[in-house]
Amino acid sequence: MEVGKKTLSRREFLQGAALAATAMVASACAAPTPEVKEVEVTRLVEVAGTPVVEQVVVTATPPPVVKAEAPAVLGVLPRSETLIADILTGRVGSPSNFNEWVGWKNRDRGMQTLANEPLWTVDFATGEIINGSADGDPIYNDDFTEVTIKLRQGTTWSDGEPFTSADLVFTVETLMKYEGFSATSFFNENVATVSATDDYTVVFKLKQSNSRFHTTFLDRWGCTWVMPKHIFEKVEDPVTFEFNPFVGTGPYKLHSFDPAGFWTIWEKREDWDKSPTGILFGEPVPKYIVYQNFANEGAKILAQLTHQADVVNLSSDGLKALLAQSKTSRAYQPTFPWVVNNDPCITGITYNTARPPFDNVDVRWALTLAIDIVDYLAIAMDGTATMSPVHVPHLGAYPKDYIEPMQDWLKELTVDIGNGETFAVYDPDAPKRVVEYAKGRGYTFPEDPESVAKAFGLGWYKYAPDIAEKLLVKNGFSRDADGKWLLPDGKPWKIAFMTETDMTHPGVRNGMAAVQQWKKFGIDAEHYPTEAQANLISIGDFDVSQSWPAQEPWGAGPDLYRVLNYYNSEYVKPLGDTTNGHPSRWSSPEMDAIIKKLRETDPTDYAAVVAVGTEGLKEAVRQMPGTPTFGYVGFVGWDQYYWTNWPGSENAYTQPYTHWGPFKYMTPFLKPTGA
Amino acid sequence: MAFTKRYLIPRLIQYFLVIFLGITAVFFIPRLIPNDPVQRTLQEMKARGSFLDPGTMDEIIADLTEMYGLEGSWGEQYLAFWGRFVRGDFGVSFFQFPTPVNKLIGIALPWTLGLLLVTTILSWTLGNIIGGLAGYYSRRHWSRALDTVAMIVRPLPYYIFAFALLLLLAYVVRWFPVSGGTDIGRKVAFNWPFIKDVLRHSFLPALSLIILGGAINFQTMKLIVQNVNAENFVQYAKLGGVTEDRIVSKYVIRNALLPQITGLALSLGQIFSGALITEIVFSYPGLGSLLYHAIVNGDYNLIMGITVFSIFAITTAILIVDLLYPIFDPRVRYT
Amino acid sequence: MKVLRDLFKDYRFALSFCVLVVLVIMALLSFFSPYDPTLWGVAPRDLEPSWEHWLGTDSNGQDIFWQATFAVRNSLIISLIAGLVSRLIAIIVGMIAGYRGGTTDRVLMFISDSLLVIPLFLIMVMLSMLVRQYMNLAVLGLMLSIFGWAWDARLIRSVILSLREREFTQTAILSGTGTLRMVLNEYMPFAMPLIFSTLINNMSWAIGLEITLAILGLVNMSIPTLGTMLNWAITYQAILLMRWWWIGTPVVLSVLLFIALYWMSVSISEYLDPRTRIQRVGTQ
Repeated sequence: MEVGKKTLSRREFLQGAALAATAMVASACAAPTPEVKEVEVTRLVEVAGTPVVEQVVVTATPPPVVKAEAPAVLGVLPRSETLIADILTGRVGSPSNFNEWVGWKNRDRGMQTLANEPLWTVDFATGEIINGSADGDPIYNDDFTEVTIKLRQGTTWSDGEPFTSADLVFTVETLMKYEGFSATSFFNENVATVSATDDYTVVFKLKQSNSRFHTTFLDRWGCTWVMPKHIFEKVEDPVTFEFNPFVGTGPYKLHSFDPAGFWTIWEKREDWDKSPTGILFGEPVPKYIVYQNFANEGAKILAQLTHQADVVNLSSDGLKALLAQSKTSRAYQPTFPWVVNNDPCITGITYNTARPPFDNVDVRWALTLAIDIVDYLAIAMDGTATMSPVHVPHLGAYPKDYIEPMQDWLKELTVDIGNGETFAVYDPDAPKRVVEYAKGRGYTFPEDPESVAKAFGLGWYKYAPDIAEKLLVKNGFSRDADGKWLLPDGKPWKIAFMTETDMTHPGVRNGMAAVQQWKKFGIDAEHYPTEAQANLISIGDFDVSQSWPAQEPWGAGPDLYRVLNYYNSEYVKPLGDTTNGHPSRWSSPEMDAIIKKLRETDPTDYAAVVAVGTEGLKEAVRQMPGTPTFGYVGFVGWDQYYWTNWPGSENAYTQPYTHWGPFKYMTPFLKPTGA
Repeated sequence: MAFTKRYLIPRLIQYFLVIFLGITAVFFIPRLIPNDPVQRTLQEMKARGSFLDPGTMDEIIADLTEMYGLEGSWGEQYLAFWGRFVRGDFGVSFFQFPTPVNKLIGIALPWTLGLLLVTTILSWTLGNIIGGLAGYYSRRHWSRALDTVAMIVRPLPYYIFAFALLLLLAYVVRWFPVSGGTDIGRKVAFNWPFIKDVLRHSFLPALSLIILGGAINFQTMKLIVQNVNAENFVQYAKLGGVTEDRIVSKYVIRNALLPQITGLALSLGQIFSGALITEIVFSYPGLGSLLYHAIVNGDYNLIMGITVFSIFAITTAILIVDLLYPIFDPRVRYT
Repeated sequence: MKVLRDLFKDYRFALSFCVLVVLVIMALLSFFSPYDPTLWGVAPRDLEPSWEHWLGTDSNGQDIFWQATFAVRNSLIISLIAGLVSRLIAIIVGMIAGYRGGTTDRVLMFISDSLLVIPLFLIMVMLSMLVRQYMNLAVLGLMLSIFGWAWDARLIRSVILSLREREFTQTAILSGTGTLRMVLNEYMPFAMPLIFSTLINNMSWAIGLEITLAILGLVNMSIPTLGTMLNWAITYQAILLMRWWWIGTPVVLSVLLFIALYWMSVSISEYLDPRTRIQRVGTQ
């Protein structure tokens, strides 16, 4: 602890000296008495082995000092009116090409987050679906072969042209006509005709019944966008058209971009009140927003420490480093575990059920019970993740709709270990043990049951290696003289856990943690990272992989169709062919029946949807095609030097990321500090 | 004439053969890796939130395969590649579909060329001059001191060295920017503010490369000069009363430079591979990260585009050095 | 023994020898390690150096000192394999090409030039991706050796070329010495200094390249080597979190290793060259 304080104050001293010197110089030059701005930072950070920072209220000294502290990274823009965010997806490959309908164009560099307004957007923090360019829910007919979409009135494109139904009709017709578009196949398969009945109403007649057709326009980190007809109709080949500058109905328009792909600048539209964001939420506050790429996490952190960036996406340790070194930065949660834990995605382990011995459900359960979830979370995320025993993450409305009601069923769930014995597998005290671990690491945080549930989850499966052993023995496995497991045919049991190669990715961390658990259990397990994992997993050439154990849910609304349909048996292909469904290649007649039932359920009938969804989750838990462990964890760092009122967990008025669509809905609520 | 027939023609044949072999190898090796670009794209689409309806996946895969030109056997693709190649067309990038490969290379090339050309030449020149002098005066204190410094700098893992520079000069003292090639918002224009901006941003990457390259050149040159120093003809010149300056420049260094010239040629040729770790640490635009991402994403066309440049550059550099060698070293003859 | 005594008179050899001995002892210590290097969480995380954990612990929960012993051992093994195998190839190719001349020479140099020309980095990355599953020390060493011989084969060849023109060659041929004997008995002694210094240079190069590949994540991360230790420390932001014991250990170890290898190669090649040996050691 002493070492930490000493080092901090040395840096503090240096900075203080610099501040003092420049302040003296500045005050000698500047005549009037400077105002004192208060920048309040509320957080508690105590990380073992690193410098200690306590709760601080920082008083920032006047503007002249700002110029010394935060060098002009912006050649042309006023820093106090600019928000600098780091781009999640890396350097922009084709900076001058904004045609997002063809291939990947780094849409999180501002296109989907600021300039485009989709018909509907998912906000997973509030669990709401926000009507952007659409005006209300889609209206299906009785057998889901026809859908009417009403569009918002009174909005214009950023070049001034009005937004009408003609744009949507043109979009769909163009997508269906040309082959190079990503969405061509989808629309050609589903849409029979599309027409505009008036300026703000579009009617689709579908080729077959599809109760979720409209979800192609629902933005959940991407969806089908509406093209501006007045621009695209003049173009000869819309596939190769670069669409530079990007024109959308969002509140920001393109200002400029770096031809080398490192930054993109967006400027608030003067007619922001003609965009759905402006109409719904008011005037966006930052005048300019920059998306900048940092190739190196260290550089990112240094940039934020020098106030050259306002919000960055980091890794677990990057976030710790940022919080330890910065006085003005905060994370999503004000205390440990700090992380963004409401990203709608469940991570875990996927078994290749087409390859023995993973085709045996007992084996899958044995592997699950051999995991000590506390050690697992410690290795993977230093305890900062929220566990979930079912195939949806513990966030938003899912605990209320699914996880809490399922607690009783989970407590009574048993596995058959042979000889007529059964074992109850659920452990509702697992979160308490994670709390003990975190306290042992020196973290402090609120420990009331509600906060613990929100931060760590409600429970997981017991750590029961002896039961796992019984399950395996029941199925013909045995141990050799060294205690290593042997397959029923006598060969040593080796598991290669396939992951991608980025070691900070939650999927990879699942892999590392699982391998450690199974090694302790006696299986010759090893971590196998490879760049080719996309290909190998899709053709089924793997044992166990980091693929999400279930498809990501919408994050808003109770509908689990997206999750469950992935297990549909009609998508399972033989090994060696690319599978279109879940990589585990698992299916069951029971699940197929549930999927069919869900397909025929009206998506707006809340109670019915939840009931069928719960059945689906129960079947998935019983069969364990993949072991769900924790919800996806995001590490966002916000600098409060220039901007405050970020949507932290205590004030979650919208979702926290700058790379998701709802970021544009955050912009009217940010407050400048005046620095 | 004899020179042309006995040396030049076989040498040129070898030149073209090596290029051909290199290109063929680089064509087939990526395809041997189980990294299917179509699957890679699909995975990216899924990771980027596109909800690919499982029902339409097959069509999407077929469409992508056709768009990328991956239909047909490897032999057919190989011939198609040569067909495009002679027209200077490297096709379109898979990962940045439909941007042509030439355009992507064109954006990154000036940055890499600018940085690496300058640093290679500077580090070679500085390293050799200082190394030569240090080698000649190898008993002096300053020579030993420099040798120790070079010896400690050289084995430092480059990533750590570069990051330490960044930490020191961009954070502890805020003299240089933390990342990028230019300031945000700066338009590309050949006026003084832009050039000043580029220089400011390239200073740290260049510094790290020059120090490292210079240290290597320094040590190698010092060793060579120390060896040449011990040669008879140098001793004789000293005994014969030739002035020190002449000995150093005309006798010692000129002889010592010979192996270094080949090294320079090789280094210049390798510019086209880019400096990947430099680009990562300093977030500097260039060919290195372009190539790396191309490999990782199985972007065959982009890999071919960049490597062809690289192969051409290296072989041509070696060829030029080989042909010009008799000018440097009169003892070598090709007739 | 007299050779060793003479060598030790050179302070550089003496120092580097000591450092190498220390490192080899460290490597041998790894056989007595109380911890399995592939298991995590065997010790509390992120502890500073103490009597219980001499170099502290890392964020994976491993003891850094014992990890370092494995790292030194594995890095030495990789570089030895890479260096020795590539020497072998370089000697064979260089000698044959230099001595035979003509078409053999052209073909061999053609192959070696092609290897020089293909961008090394590209091939390394792709090869790593290809053999990822089977990646262990021997495979990595072999991969590195494939690219280490081309340049040195050329050097050896040029030495042979110049030796071929010397008088003693003509004498030997006239007296009926066969190619193999000529090469092994007559030429090798001249080439030995070159071979030896290139061996050590090659070893340094192999270690450096392994570190680069490790930082890019292209090697097997569960095998502790100097490179993978460094990569873990960088990924876990050890520098910015000021965990100097974790980032410092592999850096200091690799610097020491490089310097030791370099000084050893310089002092040995100075010793083997009679002219410089006299300058260094003095006549006796």
